[in-house]
Amino acid sequence: MLGANPIESLTSGFLLNLELFAVTLLLALPLGLIITFCSMSRFKPLKWITKVFIWVIRGTPLMLQLFVVLYAPGLLFGIPMSSRFTAAVIAFVINYAAYFSEIYRGGIESISVGQYEAGKVLGMTRSQIFFKVVLLQVVKRIVPPMSNEIITLTKDTALARVIGIGEIIMSAERFTKMGLIWPLFSTALYFLVFVGVLSLLFGWVEKKMDYFRV
Amino acid sequence: MKKFIAMALFSAMCVTSLAGCGSSNGSGGSSAEGGTQAAAESDWEDVSAKGEMTIGMTLFAPMNYYDENNNFVGFDTELAQAVGEKLGIDINFVEINWDSKEIELNSKNIDCIWNGMCSTAERQETMTLSAPYLYNTQAMVMKADREDEIMSSVDGLTVTAEKGSTGEGKLQGTIADDDTVEVSAMEYFANSNYVASDSMAKALMEVKAGTADVALVDSVAAYGMVGPDTDYSDMVINVDNNFGLQEYVIGFRKGSDLEQHVSDAIDELYADGTVAQLAEKYNLSDLLIENDAQAATEAPEAATGDTAAEAATAAAE
Repeated sequence: MLGANPIESLTSGFLLNLELFAVTLLLALPLGLIITFCSMSRFKPLKWITKVFIWVIRGTPLMLQLFVVLYAPGLLFGIPMSSRFTAAVIAFVINYAAYFSEIYRGGIESISVGQYEAGKVLGMTRSQIFFKVVLLQVVKRIVPPMSNEIITLTKDTALARVIGIGEIIMSAERFTKMGLIWPLFSTALYFLVFVGVLSLLFGWVEKKMDYFRV
Repeated sequence: MKKFIAMALFSAMCVTSLAGCGSSNGSGGSSAEGGTQAAAESDWEDVSAKGEMTIGMTLFAPMNYYDENNNFVGFDTELAQAVGEKLGIDINFVEINWDSKEIELNSKNIDCIWNGMCSTAERQETMTLSAPYLYNTQAMVMKADREDEIMSSVDGLTVTAEKGSTGEGKLQGTIADDDTVEVSAMEYFANSNYVASDSMAKALMEVKAGTADVALVDSVAAYGMVGPDTDYSDMVINVDNNFGLQEYVIGFRKGSDLEQHVSDAIDELYADGTVAQLAEKYNLSDLLIENDAQAATEAPEAATGDTAAEAATAAAE
């Protein structure tokens, strides 16, 4: 929460957006895979619990989830959340892991039975087939939908301001309170540049994956 | 097949162990704090044990803001710090989302709201409030070149105010007019269209963008936003109509004993002249509400509203 100078203030605000973005990705990518396994499990109770979990997370606004994570511990148990940033990370990771898990599931289910059969014929175990044959093909197929989701995440980090995270939009709104409007609209540049870099990166990843012909 | 089930179980274990991790943290915290909580339903004991009071605020001049040298200053900032010194505790300022201030308070994320908050009947119900320390009035903000037109009649024009603010309450009649009111905002704007804004800053942006003709906002906040060096230099603040006076108070959890301790410290700061000095420093002297003890000995002229409203106008200019 710094700043008499708008540019400095916006930049330090955007660093918070980036931090939230990076931590969320780092944790939600693997957690999403775990949720996928649960939702595809043959153990029915686990499968249904996971489906309900995904329904709840995708069916409620992220803003509400942020409020729940930050305020519920204090309101229900009298133990206030120690860090707002941690609260934001928890809400974002759970939310994005739920979305990622469905993208992963779509990818995994799109792989033809033939791939599994081929692995079996070669005497591979089930986990070998998954990690050595299926997974890389899944990765290639899910790059476009994941790019979408990750780009959305970049902009969603701005929502963290509702629980008092001093991210870039909140930093900018401090200036509108002092009678300066331009900082609010200049925040677009930060997002545009970052998403531009991400788009180039995803394009490059897709190209790299081109050697798979499936 | 078995391997796959094993893997699914393993991942389920990961999830539960993650969850277990979270809950063990939680229970660790509760056992540590549960003790103090059971022993003390007292906010003051909690605060003095921690040696820190957390104040929820939003940044706005002249109450809580950063100056050109990036120092955290403001009337409320310095007054709170002086109170902290008196009480021997640190003051921790947390920037909150103003819409969530009640929930921030009740979830104990903050110990009080100290940010130029107007006293309202609703807040008297839901919070324990300090004695009032500053006056505020509702100001009309509009484009300078339309001031004559708008001040002659607001019929058919669009007026905006921050949702949940005093301005909105006055416009919609949810905040009853008291004896400090000379012009009833509800009657004055009876033939205007009302549109709610997200914040006072957004209300001014509505006027700047032309989506509203006039904004009704806290005068103290308005003077912090409109000025020659801002994007609102083509706008003016008009306080010709006295829509009544509001009082700034500090909000604590309902029934909190922290209020007494803070108020005692403020009484001392009134007595030694610190409060008056701060008001002078931030150009708020005319809006300062005298301390109960002092006010009792003097004529309660401020209570009539006239003088204070004039003072508010004068201070503004």
